[in-house]
Amino acid sequence: MRQSSVIARRVAAASVSLVVAAGAAACGPEDNDAKSAGGDSTPHKGGTLTVLNSQPQQDFDPARLYTSGGGNVPSLVFRTLTTRNRENGEAGAKVVSDLATDTGRPNKDATVWTYTLKEGLKYEDGTAITSADIKYGIERSFAPELSGGAPYLRDWLVGAADYQGPYKDKRDTKGLSAIETPDARTIVFHLNKPEGEFPYLATQTQFAPVPKAKDTGTKYEEHPVSSGPYKVVSNDNDGERLVLERNTHWSASTDAERKAYPDRIDVRSGLDSSVINQRLSASQGADAAAVTTDTNLGPAELAKVTGDKDLAARVGTGHFGYTNYIAFNPTIKPFNNVKVRQAISYAVDRSSVVNAAGGSALAEPATTFLPNQKSFGYEPYDLFPAGEAGNAAKAKELLKEAGYANGLTVTLTHSNSKDFETSPEIATAVQDALKKAGITVKLQGLEENDYKDKIHSVRTEPGFFLAHWGADWPSGGPFLAPIFDGRQIVKDGANFNTGLLNDKSVNAEIDAINKLTDLDAAAKRWGALDKKIGEQALTVPLFHPVYKRLYGEAVKNVVISDWTGVLDISQVAVK
Amino acid sequence: MSAPGASGARQFWRRLRTQRAALVAAVVVALLVLVALAAPLLTAIEGQDPTTYHPSLVDSARGGVPIGSFGGVSAEHWLGVEPQTGRDLFARLVYGARVSLGVALAATVVQVVIGVVVGVAAALGNQWVDQLLSRITDVIVAMPLMIMSLALLAIVPSSFPRPVLVALVIGLIAWGNIAKIVRAQTLTLKELDYVSAARLSGWGSWRVARRELLPGIAAPVITYAALLVPTNITVEAALSFLGVGVKPPTPSWGQMLTAADVWYQAAPQYLLLPAGALFVTVLALTVLGDGVRTALDPRAASRLRVGTGRKREAKA
Repeated sequence: MRQSSVIARRVAAASVSLVVAAGAAACGPEDNDAKSAGGDSTPHKGGTLTVLNSQPQQDFDPARLYTSGGGNVPSLVFRTLTTRNRENGEAGAKVVSDLATDTGRPNKDATVWTYTLKEGLKYEDGTAITSADIKYGIERSFAPELSGGAPYLRDWLVGAADYQGPYKDKRDTKGLSAIETPDARTIVFHLNKPEGEFPYLATQTQFAPVPKAKDTGTKYEEHPVSSGPYKVVSNDNDGERLVLERNTHWSASTDAERKAYPDRIDVRSGLDSSVINQRLSASQGADAAAVTTDTNLGPAELAKVTGDKDLAARVGTGHFGYTNYIAFNPTIKPFNNVKVRQAISYAVDRSSVVNAAGGSALAEPATTFLPNQKSFGYEPYDLFPAGEAGNAAKAKELLKEAGYANGLTVTLTHSNSKDFETSPEIATAVQDALKKAGITVKLQGLEENDYKDKIHSVRTEPGFFLAHWGADWPSGGPFLAPIFDGRQIVKDGANFNTGLLNDKSVNAEIDAINKLTDLDAAAKRWGALDKKIGEQALTVPLFHPVYKRLYGEAVKNVVISDWTGVLDISQVAVK
Repeated sequence: MSAPGASGARQFWRRLRTQRAALVAAVVVALLVLVALAAPLLTAIEGQDPTTYHPSLVDSARGGVPIGSFGGVSAEHWLGVEPQTGRDLFARLVYGARVSLGVALAATVVQVVIGVVVGVAAALGNQWVDQLLSRITDVIVAMPLMIMSLALLAIVPSSFPRPVLVALVIGLIAWGNIAKIVRAQTLTLKELDYVSAARLSGWGSWRVARRELLPGIAAPVITYAALLVPTNITVEAALSFLGVGVKPPTPSWGQMLTAADVWYQAAPQYLLLPAGALFVTVLALTVLGDGVRTALDPRAASRLRVGTGRKREAKA
């Protein structure tokens, strides 16, 4: 769970990467032709969809991909036991069946999960998909040479802690004993402890089938065998350009989620974000049928786009469960004093912080640690109401009670990245707001790697710093547990419980919720737990990001779920 | 080469005065220095300061673009406000002048001091000292200024006062050329009769350097220093542009340029103000430096059609 979140945050950070350099001229149209759709808005099959991205689609192997809900491009090639619901907004944060007939059947305490595969499932070569292939796909994700995926499987599956994958242990043909395949359509998972959220985990690409006979180890990523509506035609420079074409053996009758309108998908990555936005706004030639899955509009571009009706109509808005916040280390003075932490919570000016993050179109003020979405169990609360512009008077009062009547000088640690999340712009906005409450803030800007190392080590963690957090799936569990579960404090390694909270009642409640298999009931309790933890003022939630992304003129059927916040490629049509 | 004494200085001013461009540049530079020195006073008159946020002056829904024409120009905000933050641009610009000019001048002083000391020591020392110092100078000259500055600025802890650090780093890396000029000039002067006479009469190296050589190398050093100032300004701006110069919220022109480059379409004045300020400052300093060089160069003096004071008195 720990490292997982690092990468999840990295994935999320990449996806909100804002434009830092403009002025690049729009590149010319490319070779393919895309006809403008005209007034007809019904989606039709055919055409080529171009995806313009900044991050390349590296290590295109289901064992190695780190995705939330199966990813966007990966999900076109790899089907998994379950997947995310391909619907707009809140409905899209639900988990639904994919290869399996349902989202899983748990035993009484959620330690054993059983799935049955649908009938008639086939690979791109026409051979049948079996439950043994899914087991094999999971097993190979344990091989050290195929690292990259989430560590949940190793943590959760019985006896998996030291498993080294199917390549090392050739004599043991049974493989991982925690996974049973009684017949070709049934697969059973045995877990260490109750995990009511197992269906969410089963959306990740490690749950995609891999035919053992076609496995080429580290070379499998060059041409993974498709179970989805598209197969890989070419993959250049480790995912810099990925061309997908229709998989004729995929059948829409077994797949309720993927629409697969275009005949061909052309993913071009490694582009500068300003170039991507220029090309999408110009929408010339093949770019008319283009989308991006990882590049936001920046504040300056947004100022331009909102003034142009044609462009404004081509902006997709999405929400991804993510929180940017101020973190305290309560072992360092004066943050050991809860009144000081509360004073800072009152003094924060969320309107200038939101402006620094790109304005109200790109960020929503946050007073809760959990993202403001139902699937996370969001329960609105504002324990230290700062209003729009900060409550300096209340903050001063609290400081006086804490023994700092003459004000206070503190150091705020932040990164020097240009992400508009933990970057200097946010730090200076906080600094300005606290000045009004008599708190002098000195800024300590660190290089990105240095900053991450410092804040995630118990020994070097600063007292007062900017942080952000995103979950691997839209639920309270992976959002709250790594940050507030006392048993997840790591003394010598990457630690994410930066508030060093080890509260028995919090730990017990986390265990109790993990037992629940009714995800709605679990969500409610995560929300209540979030509020309870909030009373300790270990963090000051600042804002939740909003994604604004352009798409080309010929693009139809735009679906953006609250799970990813990004336009879903499997739903897009270009004809 | 004559040592510029009291009459030399007078001659220098006379030669400088006859160059109209240099005069205009001098006035501009004087104004800029005045603005930088009086920054707190000027912003007090305006009623603003460079760091206070004004969230109500920007349109949050449109990415934080300033509300109003010309980037929110008003009686309260003479040059408008910064996008996203609403900070006063006039205040940031005049405080930015302090950083730009201050860092550049301080760096120049460091460069001149090190350059003169190393240059004179190399010229007067024995063969070993000369070899050693000259090789060190070669290494310094060969070092890429920007890359070295980036590396140095990245490793120094952020608790060190940033403007001082930037001045020191630029000063410590770019003194090579001035040391070479000083060494060459000193070697020439060393052979002249009056210096030899001083040495023969038993003066020590230190006294000879101070009394006889320094006045002789003043002209080339001043000339070179005058041209170093604008270079240092651009280096500081470039370092701040790359994010390793002075740190926010301290305003600097280079930093403003970085933040502004994405806004060139939505809020052009945000980019044009620091760019214009940098352009005018560097141009004025360069023209002035050129004027100083011309005024100090005996070969250029004849071209200026200026005689000595005595000749003019004779004419009158």
